[in-house]
This record gives sequence, structure tokens and C-alpha cells, in this order.
Amino acid sequence: MMAKTINMKFLFYIPVGLISIVLLSLASCRKAYESTPLGQQIPEEIAFDPHDSAGTYAKRFLLTTYAEALQNNHNRVSSNYLDAASDDAVSSQPGIPDVQKIATGAYTATAANADNVWEKSYIAIRDATVFSVLINQVPLAEKLSNGLPARPAYRSEARFLRAYLYFELVKRYGGVPLLGDQIRQLPDDVQLPRNNFADCISYIVSECDNIKDSLRTEQSINSTTYGRITSGAAMALKARVLLYAASPLFNGGNIEAGNPLTGYTNADPGRWKIAADAAKAVMDRGTYKLMPNFPDIFITQAAPAAANTESIFWRQNGENTSVETSNGPVGYTTAGGAGITSPTQDLVDAFLTIDGKNIKDAGSAYDPNDPYKDRDPRLKSTVFYNGMLWINRPVETFDGGVDKPGGTLQQTKTSYYMRKFMGNFESVSGATIYSKTIHDFIYIRYAEILLNYAEASNEFSGPSAEILDAIRQIRKRAGINAGPDSTFGVPASLSQNELREVIHNERRIELAFEEHRFFDIRRWKTAETVYSRPLRGLNIQRTSSGQLSYNIVPVLTPVFRSPQMYLYPIPYGEVIKNPQMVQNPQW
Amino acid sequence: MFQHCFRITCSVAILLLLAVWQPAPAQTIAPQNVSLNGEVLDDYGRPVKGATILIKGTATKIATTEDGKFSIDASLYATLVISHPMFDVQEIKVKNSDALQIRLTDRYLHSITGIDTSVINNPAQQKFYLLYENKSPDKLISAVSTIYGNQLSTTPASLYAYALPGRVPGLNVNQARGFYNAQTSALTDVDFFVGNIPKNNSGSGPNDNTEFNIQLRGHAGSSGQEPISIVDGVQREIYSLDPESIESVSILKDALSTILLGQNSSRGALLVTTKIPQAGAPHLSFTAETGTQSSLGLPTPLPAYKYAYLLNEALLNDGRTAAYTSNDFNAYRDGTDPINHPDVNWYDKVISRNPLLTRYNLNVNGGGATARYIVSLSYLDQAGFYKTDDKNSYNTNNQLKRYLINSKIDVDVNKNFNIALQLFGRLQQGNQPGAGSSAILGTLLSTPNNAYAVFNPDGSYGGNANYRTNLLSMVQNSGYLTDNTKDVMANLDLKYKFDNWVPGLWLKAKGNVSVQSSSLISRSKQSPVYNMIVSPAGDTSYTNFGPTINQGNSFTSTSWARYVFAQLSAGYDKKIGDHNFGAMLLYDKKTTLLNYDIPSALTNYAGKLTYDYKGKYMAEGAVNYSGYDRYKPGHQFGLFYAGGLGWNIAEEGFIKDNAGWISQLKLRATYGRTGNANIDRYGYYVYRSYFTDVAGTYGIGTTYQNSIGLAEGGSPPNQVLANVNATWEKADKLDIGLDIAVFNNHLQLNADYYHEKYFDVLQTRGKSIQLIGQGYPAENIGINRYTGAELNITYQNNYKNFNYFITANASLQSSGIVYMDEQFQQYEWNRQTGHPVGQRFGLQTDGFIQTGAEAATTATITGYALHVGDYKYKDLNSDGVINQFDVAPLGKERPIIYYGLNAGFSFKGFAVSALLQGVQNRELYINNGYTEGGFQPQNNGFSQAYEQALGRWIPESAAIATYPRLTAGTNGYNYGPLLYSNAALLHNGNYFRLKNINVEYNLPYKLIRSLKLSGIKVFVNALNLFTWSAYDLVDPEVQLPNYPVQKVINFGINIKI
Repeated sequence: MMAKTINMKFLFYIPVGLISIVLLSLASCRKAYESTPLGQQIPEEIAFDPHDSAGTYAKRFLLTTYAEALQNNHNRVSSNYLDAASDDAVSSQPGIPDVQKIATGAYTATAANADNVWEKSYIAIRDATVFSVLINQVPLAEKLSNGLPARPAYRSEARFLRAYLYFELVKRYGGVPLLGDQIRQLPDDVQLPRNNFADCISYIVSECDNIKDSLRTEQSINSTTYGRITSGAAMALKARVLLYAASPLFNGGNIEAGNPLTGYTNADPGRWKIAADAAKAVMDRGTYKLMPNFPDIFITQAAPAAANTESIFWRQNGENTSVETSNGPVGYTTAGGAGITSPTQDLVDAFLTIDGKNIKDAGSAYDPNDPYKDRDPRLKSTVFYNGMLWINRPVETFDGGVDKPGGTLQQTKTSYYMRKFMGNFESVSGATIYSKTIHDFIYIRYAEILLNYAEASNEFSGPSAEILDAIRQIRKRAGINAGPDSTFGVPASLSQNELREVIHNERRIELAFEEHRFFDIRRWKTAETVYSRPLRGLNIQRTSSGQLSYNIVPVLTPVFRSPQMYLYPIPYGEVIKNPQMVQNPQW
Repeated sequence: MFQHCFRITCSVAILLLLAVWQPAPAQTIAPQNVSLNGEVLDDYGRPVKGATILIKGTATKIATTEDGKFSIDASLYATLVISHPMFDVQEIKVKNSDALQIRLTDRYLHSITGIDTSVINNPAQQKFYLLYENKSPDKLISAVSTIYGNQLSTTPASLYAYALPGRVPGLNVNQARGFYNAQTSALTDVDFFVGNIPKNNSGSGPNDNTEFNIQLRGHAGSSGQEPISIVDGVQREIYSLDPESIESVSILKDALSTILLGQNSSRGALLVTTKIPQAGAPHLSFTAETGTQSSLGLPTPLPAYKYAYLLNEALLNDGRTAAYTSNDFNAYRDGTDPINHPDVNWYDKVISRNPLLTRYNLNVNGGGATARYIVSLSYLDQAGFYKTDDKNSYNTNNQLKRYLINSKIDVDVNKNFNIALQLFGRLQQGNQPGAGSSAILGTLLSTPNNAYAVFNPDGSYGGNANYRTNLLSMVQNSGYLTDNTKDVMANLDLKYKFDNWVPGLWLKAKGNVSVQSSSLISRSKQSPVYNMIVSPAGDTSYTNFGPTINQGNSFTSTSWARYVFAQLSAGYDKKIGDHNFGAMLLYDKKTTLLNYDIPSALTNYAGKLTYDYKGKYMAEGAVNYSGYDRYKPGHQFGLFYAGGLGWNIAEEGFIKDNAGWISQLKLRATYGRTGNANIDRYGYYVYRSYFTDVAGTYGIGTTYQNSIGLAEGGSPPNQVLANVNATWEKADKLDIGLDIAVFNNHLQLNADYYHEKYFDVLQTRGKSIQLIGQGYPAENIGINRYTGAELNITYQNNYKNFNYFITANASLQSSGIVYMDEQFQQYEWNRQTGHPVGQRFGLQTDGFIQTGAEAATTATITGYALHVGDYKYKDLNSDGVINQFDVAPLGKERPIIYYGLNAGFSFKGFAVSALLQGVQNRELYINNGYTEGGFQPQNNGFSQAYEQALGRWIPESAAIATYPRLTAGTNGYNYGPLLYSNAALLHNGNYFRLKNINVEYNLPYKLIRSLKLSGIKVFVNALNLFTWSAYDLVDPEVQLPNYPVQKVINFGINIKI
């Protein structure tokens, strides 16, 4: 009896013991891990570490802010250039490409167009704000080359990016909500109203003014800081912003008179003066000058790290072949080329002759039966046309030519392909593929500053020697013949209106595919005229004997509803979710 | 809406009436009596205790003893009726006084009730497996349905889930693809020394079920509400168990049956119990079977000349020039120029006809009174449908090979102490072409017949600038990918009964560790394709396209998971007079470690009380204080509770005395508050705001060195604000049920009504304004209602040795969005609130634009000019524009009905069973541009066209057109306009399938005995033998380009020793 009890007791301890082992092993498991993920996710006190004088994480955050803020505008809008939504080009894509819907007005507040940057911009604006606020808690020890602390420079870079983003919004939507320096979280109220157009402009301009002295100077940029925002960039942005603000769309031509959101409520010619002065200030810095060879601008890194003296503000893209393979003629099958961009005859016709004349001008060297002879050299640097040499053979864009073979292959609709931004592969003997080329996308270059100055100054006070000089500089660099009077086709006798036409055309051809034309025709309020004509392409027939005949063909009928389409609609969701958000007129 | 349901009920009733009617037994003259001895054996030859032996026509009956023996006095030529709830009824004529050896055959549908308590004192009754307990069906008050192994093993497939559709009401099992889909990339990003970002937010880890969406009572996996899979008491997502080793699958549907899962209790559960060791001499069962598979629902491509003709039509419709000439048509038609004018039916080229599915299973079972064991080994080999090339020394086809072992040892240390040990292991090896099976299926769907010749005259793979990969080369010449998964699960169960001290008190402990790892080896390669060009001078040249990628050899660890589960429970059962009390306390903790996440832990502290009076009145209640550590500290634990009442009216005197044919008439109701911790689906520690490293950000410096970046709240552009208030979803669930068993349990009926209110459902708020610069997180906002009714009717009986059964089930499900913080909607028809959960919204169509005048005046999408033959969308708000304000619910919002009908019989060793499964009131949205959208741009060319396109609108057949006018490329109007759905792509989704049919024959026992075996069974069965669907151009379940659903015809043999 006694023995049995002991046995029982012993057996009782077995389960208890085993259970204890299970529980103990569990308890010991727990100690192996932290209770919140310290390694995989970085809390704010490490990201902006108040004890890290190197600011390792904080500087990484700024890099992401750059990446979020600066879009690669090469084939940005659903694989197309935004210019394919202007009168300069159409997309070669089959069906109805998204970029074409912008040109044909096939978008609404509810079905945003492919260039709707609203959400993207506000994401990057938040990044810039987070950095510019939290960097203050990082005791950055780094010094600039001039001995000043680097922290204000980094902080100003973020503020520059934010100002740039606001401007990208303002030029599309008019006045937008300015969020200030508050970092909002889940419980915070974000039902904010739009700020007036005038407030937005003065905010952006004041930001540019405030940061320009703490940013790095152009001269101080070296191979490791290449790509950072400089003082010159801030001043150049200011010049562009003021030019837009002075333009008819916002200054006197407000699409809804009296609406402070869509532009100034008054017209003030003095705004042109401020714009001209801002451009002049960039010119007077003396750090920028035109590159000698036009096509090299887009494939050369900027000074002083490299040779490009013209580039002021750009997006770092590095070396690749993406521009060539996306836009190159389709017949170069080994090299690759999707030929997505079809420049229009309208753009080609805008290019001058070699002596600086318009092709329709009396006495110009233009020959309709040999249309590419004796033309502005920028033409062959901007578009591919039939017969132009490229990788060991002439481009064939006549009907049935290897670069326009017919059938289902994606190919040019106009007999032209875009050439700009590509490497110099005109006469690469032997090579059959594209080699990697620098493809930084230049947002602001010195030629634009010259044109900004010329335009603003001409609008404010009419023709002047400085204006003529600015344009002649550009034409000279382009390779236009100086002519016997050394006017490069821009005589001093031009009236204000004639000079305006010259400047507008010069902007079109000099800055083609650089996202200028699309916005220029809007701020000039000429879009309703420009889009009222069908866009044209060329059909080239080749006879068996090799004779070419050229026929102009319509390729796209754009639609522009004026004044509605001068500004984009605010995305519908933003308006409906936020009672304070006012929609743009007629959307 | 009940029409169909009513029809089923009617047909069932008629069948039942036919079955109940039986000819009167013939009169017999009482001859002399003999004293009979005998034994009753099961299909292994093991004794069956508790079988009743009835002398037909008399009231004499006895039960077999523990060793299956019986002795009875019966008259010569009398008929003995041997019955047992687990076996088919057998009748034997007494011919002489020789000892009888009666072997019973397993019943297809186990009868859970119906033990004849008049002759058996302590019946070893079949019990329902519930969560962490067994329960007698008489006392069950929860909503639970059970499927037994017999019902699963007749389905020839790679997962037991294939056998689930149509078996029980409430469980909807929809097939999404027809072949196992391997994980080919890591579940996590591995970037830098810190900043590894977990991508797997499912919270449940890797899952071997890639073929089925399993829904319980309408809850979709897409919302994290699919039922939890529990294998032998432990939560594990294992669906590849061999059906031969499964004892039963219980489907736990209501709050009371799942409440012990705490923060997982909302989801319901599939409770799998593997076979249990049985005492006895070692018995062995071996099954070998092999089947042929064939694909269902493949689309019908158009021959090249039709394709070319239609593409020309499309291009001309677009105002472009035609791409093909009449010479081209002729060349496609007569096949004279197979190189430049190929007409290749890629489906024939790439897909082989009848790949095999082979399975082997070995079960060993035995043991003595103190220790018992069962070992189940199985092997599966499923071949995919790609054609292979004998030139390869390796396999390029899809292939799934799986080895499983499941062993259980059950030891009684003494009469109070039991130890059970289980080891489960799985090795799985998958194979697929190096280009990847899903990439191939997508290419197969899009490549036109005339794209390129398969081979050039010189034997090289054909292709051109538009098609830089060759489909056959992708299938046979792209190397291969193999994936390996290894699984080990060890389970230790201890149970100690304190009967020597306090009778009825017990203590249980369970410990479980399981580890799973998956990896992928890629030996893929790519060969260029060649375009043959013959110059006008007659010179042949080849141009190559596409890269040459040499065969690689890379290894990726795709997932790694460790689960630790520990449970401790104590209970006390006490009977005082007719009052039965039970109490239980439970603690458990499940720790999940996925890849290099921090382990997550779910902890339950639960208590449960049960009470019944004479099995007549039942009451049960449970509370669970359950916590999950992925919520903010201090806000991790919540209280969940459930309770239920039951009343078995059949036990009341007035029924017992007056209507003795009613053996069960039970009313039951349960109600509870359950939880669903699916926060991991929405991020990793969502309550914390954090920064994360970002790869290749912005290259500052002249070398553009792609440096590491840092972003707030996730990797751009998926940045999300922290949700400090995140908590679990909750549900209030009511279930009311009725169980009826009448006519000596021959007819059984179970009915349930449920009403579930899910609230605090994680959703993004309506006012998610973009100005804040980050995404809004999922917040506990939504309220959804799910209601439904379920019915199951079973009749089973025998006429002499002819045993038959029919069981039918149907469930009616509906849901509604009660609250979803919807943004302001200008028009009533835009509002989603009030509509069923997951209701599809889209544009309503009204035929086609028939005339130019109509095109000019009809409302259209901004910027699109209408043509004749375009869809005519309804302008609901009459503003002249088709936009999001014209979007309304698509289809009829009817409750969906799932049904299944399972019937069969057995007679003298023959057994037949068939399962029909179907869905009614289902809508099928076919959102696949290749068959529905005309010519999609692809590889710069245009995609394949299918027979659907022949119904296009052309003026000649304007009245009967079923498809809009053809266009080349996406025109943004007829297909996927502005990303809205389109009513024209919505079809009637009703279907039914002959899901499973099985014919088997058990060789006569006498013959088997002479071979010293216990049994030999040969069988043939089929999966998806026949499908009827209302819209028959596609498979009703698997949408393109997923791997198609398979029809399998399977033969096999089972030998028992």
C-alpha cells in the first residue's frame, strides 16, 4: 500500500516536470529577441540621431528626398516625353496612349491625366519638410569647402526641392495648399485650403532667396558633390518662377477673372521686370556660359566637375542607353529602338534655315523637294529624318523603309524620330549597338536663362541690344551662319511683336523635348490656337528609282477646351474629401 | 431566390420516399435452432466491438464483445443482420452451425449517432473532433460539420483540399489554379546590413495551398478572414496531407467552437485530425494509384488567316493601314510558307495531352494495450502539362514530388497517464521550366498563331523583332527551376488523470515545434531567336534577337519558418445525479518566427464551463483573454467570449413516449464575441512610426554611385503613416441550429442560421487626403454583416446487403456593408455602403452603338469619339459624359447558393459514390484582355485572338454581335474603360461539376484469406469528370492565364495485410 502511494506520487511528478520543461524552454526563447524591431526598422532617434556628428542616416534621407522630388523626364509620361502632348510630337504607341489623351483633352478630375503629379509631389514635399525640420537635431560636423558648416547647405537643398515641387504644382494647378514646416501624422487635420496663386509665387521666391546663400556655390562642386543643388540653381529657379508668374495666363489673363487661386487678380507689367532682373542676376553670376556644341549639352556632365558649363539644375541619371533604346529608330534591331516618339512636321518646320531665316521667309534657303538641306544644325540634333546617317547607315523612314516597315510593329507616325539627348552615334563605324551615355535630365540650363531674360525684357521694355545679344549667342552656338551683318538672322530692326515671335520660336526649337513647349503655350495663352490645327506628319514615298516624294499627312487632331484646360483639374478625390479644397474653373 | 434550393430539396425528398418504401419481409417458418459462434472483423481483419447482431424478424439482438466475438441462438436459415455505425449493414443467412467470420466494410458516410444503447452499455461511440476536445454528437451545441477520411481519399489530387468542395454546407472552396505554384522569390528583401524589410505580411507564413481559395460562410482570404487550418491541435497551413492518413476534417463555424483561438477565433477553422493509433497486431495498408490529367477551360485560338483578317479589320477600324494582304491570307491558309507565314497552334505545340499523377501510400498500424503506433508514408508525383524534349538530360516540365511521413505513438504509462508523440515530416520538390511556368502561360495566352515559325529551316528557334523569345524555347530550352520544401513537426501530448485523488480532474500539456524551409535553385538560361530573311537575290540570312543567357546556377532561400506552440490545460468533469458538469482552464502560446522577423506571439488564457442535464438540456460558456504582441504594448490583450444553449427535445418524455421514431430533435444556439488579429497583412509593427533603408536612391557624385537611401514609413512609394490605434477586428456571431434524426437515424437533418457582425474591420479611411504626403494605414473602421442559412440532409439505409446513401447540402450566403467611412458620393448608385461585401461596381452597358447618329449623340468617355460597334454605356446621371458617376453595382445582388450532392451505394464488395458540386447566383467577371479586349499590344506586335472575337460587331451581324468592334491596341473604351469594370464582361457564373466519382471493388474475403491478406480493393475514380457552366467559353473557376483546372481519371489498388 505504502509502495503504491510512492509510485503514484512519482508518477504525479512526471507530468509536472515535463510541463515545466516545456514552459522553461518557451521562457528562454523569448530572451533571444527584442520586443520591437530595432534592426529592421529605424526609429526617428536613429534616423536623425542627435548624437551622430556624421549624420549618416540623415544624409541618406536627403538622397531619397532627391529621388522622390526629381523625376526623370526622359520618357516620363507613360513612357513618353511630355512634349508628345504638345504640338511638337505624338506618341508612336498603338491604341490611344495616355500621353495623347492630354493633347486630346481626354481627362477629367476623376480620370486624371498621365502627368498628374499631385500625389507624387506632396509625397516628396513631405520628405523635404521632414528633412529640413529634423536635420536641425543632428549635430553635423561636416564643413563646406569655404569653411562654413554644411548643415545649412543640406537643409537648403531640401527646401530648394520643396520650392521646386511647389512650382511644378503651381504651373499645372494654380495656387495649391502650402503646408509649411509641420510634419503631420495620422490624427492631424489635413483638410487644408488652397493658397492663392500670388502667395504660392511669393513663398517659392522667398524660399529661393532665403536659401541661395547657404547652398553650395557652383564653383565648390566637386566630383563627390556633383548633383547637389547650388546657389545658381536657386536663382535660376526663381527666374523661371517669376517668368511664369509674369506670363499672360497668370498676369492679366487669369482664366477666371478675380479668382486668386488661378492667377493674379490684376495685371502688372512690372512683373516682367522682376522676372527679367532675376534672369539677369543668373547671367551676371558669370559662372555659366553656353556649351560650344549643341548635342554635347545633354551628354556631358556639368562643370566644374566636368566640361558642361551650361547645366544649372538637373536630375542625375547616370550612364545608360535608355533614351536610345526607347526612342531610337526601330530598324536598328541589333542596337534596339522602340521609336516611341514621333516628332511632328510642325516642329521640323519651326527649325530655321542655316542662315537664321524661317523656312517660309522670302529668300530662305529652304527647298521643299530637299527639305533637310541647309537647315539649322539643331534640326539633325533634335530629330531623325529620312536619309540622316545613324550607326553606319541612313535612316529610312519612307514607306516600307526599314525604320518604317508597316505592319504591326510600333513605328513612327510622322516619318520622324526623336534624336535629342542621344549619344553621338551618327558615324560610329563598325559598332552596331548603343554604348552607354550620360543621360542626366537638365531641368534648367543657361540657354533657357538667356531666353527667359530675352522674353521678359522684351515684354517689359521692348527690343534692346542685350536681348538681341542673348538670342544671337544661342544661334551662334547652334551653328547658324552669322551672315554678312553678323545678326544670325535676328536683325536689330525687329519690333517688339516680331521679336516676341522670334523668341517664342527660338524657345521651341532650342528647348524642344525639355518639357518647355507644353507649358509655354499655356502660359502664353496660345494653346487654344496651337491646338486648333491638326498635328502633321510626313509620308515619304520612294519610287523604284529612288526618287522621294513628300506628302504632308495629318496624324492627330488635338482638342483644347479654353479656358478649362489651361490648368489641370485638382484630383476629384482631393476635392470631395476636403470641403476646403476648391476645384479649378470648369472642372 | 430559393428556387434552386427548393428544387434540390424536392429531389432529395422524392429519393427519400422511394428509399423508405420497402417490400414487406417474407414470412418464414421457424425451423430448428442452432447455437452460433462468430466474430465480426473490420477491413483489416481486426475485431469490431459493439456491433449489433439482430435476428431478422425477431427482437433478438446482441452486441459483439471487446474481441469482436458473439454467440447467439438462431434458427437455421434465419437471417442475421450485423450493423455498426461505422460499417455497412450486412445480412447473413444461417446455413449451418459453423462459426461465422463476418467482415464488415467501412461505411462511406460514418453515422455519428445511432448506437443501439439497448444492447451496448458503454458504447465506443464515434465522437466529433472539436478544438482540443472530443464531444459526443448528442451533446454538441456548436455549428460543426465533419468530413471523414473515406470521403477524402477517393479524390485523386495533390491536396486534400481538392476533396472539400461540395462536402459540407458553409464551406466554399474555389479553385484558382490547377497546379502547385512554387514560391520562386524570397519572401523578404535582403538589402543591406540593416534594413531587411519583411514582405510577408500574411501573418501566417508559407502556405502549401496555392490552388484554392477557401472561404467559410462567405469570408474571403483577401480580407484575411479565411478559416484557420489546424492539424492535430496545432495551427499549421498544411493542406498536402495524404487523405489516407486523415481521420476527419471538422469545420468549426460558430463562435463557441472557435473561441479558444482567441484573437484568431473570428475566422472559423478547418480542424484536421490524422488517423489515430489502434491496438492490435501490426496491420498494413498499401495503396498505389495513378491517373491521367487533362486540362479544362483552355481557350480556342484563331488560325492565322482568321487572325490576320481580324487584325486588318481592327487596324482599319482605327483608321490605320492594313497589315496583311490577300497573299498573306492565302499563305496562312494553305501553309505554303511555314517560315514567313506560320500558323502555329501554340497550345498543341506546348501542352502535352495526358500527364500522369501517381500516388503511393503505406499505413502501418498496431500495438498493444499500453503502446500503440501508426505510421503513414506517402509519395506523390504529379507531372505538369508541358511537352518536354528528349534532348535535355533534365526535366523541364512542371513536376511536383512529395514525400510525407506521419507517425504517432500513443503510450499509456499507467491507466492515468498517457503520452502521445507525433512526428510529421514532408519533403517536397517542385520543378518548372527555367522561364517560369506563369511567364510561359502568360506568353502562351498572348502569342498569335502567326507570330513566328517554331523552328527555322536550319533548326534554330524562330522569332523576330516583335517576339524576342520563342515559346517552345521557353518551355524546353530555358533550363529549369527546382524548389525544395522541408517540413518537420514534432508534437508531444501528455495527459494525466488525477482519478486516484480527485476523480474527474485531469491535466494536459502539449508542446509542438515545427520548422519549415523552402529554397529555389535556378538553372535557367535563355537562347536567342532567329529571323530568317531571304533577300531578293535569294540569299538566306539570319538575324538574331534576344539575349543569350548562359545556364545559371543560383540558390535562393525563399522562406523559413518556425512555429512553437505550447499549451497547458486542466479540467474537471463531475457527474452529480443527472447533472454533468465540466470545467476547463487553458493557457497556450503560439510563437511564429518567419524568416528574420521578430517572432510574433499569440497568447490565450481561457476558461470553459459545460453543463448538461440528462443530455436533455445543455449549456456551455467560455471566455478567452487573448493577446497578440504585434499591437502596441498595453493594448495587446482583449476579452473574447462565447456561450451556447441546447435542448434535445427528443429526450423529453412526451416525444419518447409518443414519437419514438424521433431519435434526435435538438435545438441549439450559440453567441459570442470573437477576434481576428490580421494586422500583419497591413505591415510590420504598424503602430510604430519608423524609417527604412531604401536601395539605389539617388546617385550624387560624378560616378552616380547608387547609394543607400532612407525613407519614412516604408519603402517609396509604399509609405504609410503609423497607426497607433491599431487593434484586432471583432465579430459578434449568432448561430441557431436544429439537428434532427428520425427513422432509426436513417434520415438526418442539420440546419443552421447565422448572423455575424464583423466590426473594427481594417480599412483605409474615406478621407485619405493626399496632401499629407503618405498613405493612410488600414484603421479599424468597417462594419460588415454576414448572414446565411445552411442545410444538410442525409438518408442512408440498406435493403438486405444493398447499402445506399444520399446526402445533400446547400448554403445560402449574403453579406452587406454596414459602414465603411465612404467618401461623399454625389449619386445614390455610387454608394457602396449597404451593398454586399466585395460587390463589383462598374459601367452598365446597353448593347452596342448601332448607327452613326447614335454615336454622335450618345454619352461617351471624355476624349473618346464613339464609333458604331462600340459598347453603349449608360449615362446614369445624364450629364452627357461617361465617368465614375455612372458606375453602379454590376449584376444582381442575390444571396449566393453553394450546394453539393453526394450519393452512393455498396453491394457485395462493390461500392460506388459520386459527388456533384455547384454554385448558383454566382457572377463571373472575366477580366482578361487577351480573350475579351480585342488585340492587346504585346512585344510591339499584337496579341493572339480567340474565338470570342468572332462575335464582334460588324454591320452585317450588328443584331447578333457579342463583342465590340475590333480595335488594335487598347482603346481605353471598350475594354477596361478608365479602369472601371464593365457590365458586358460580367457573365452568369453558375456551374456544377461532377466533382468526384468513385467505383471500387473489394475482393471477396474468402479469396483474400487464402492469400493471407486482409483485403484487396481495386478502384477507379475521377476528378472534375463533367462540368456544366452557364458561360462555357472559359472555365468557371480558374481564370486565364493561371494553370488550368485538371480533369483526372485515376486507377488504383489497395492491399491490406
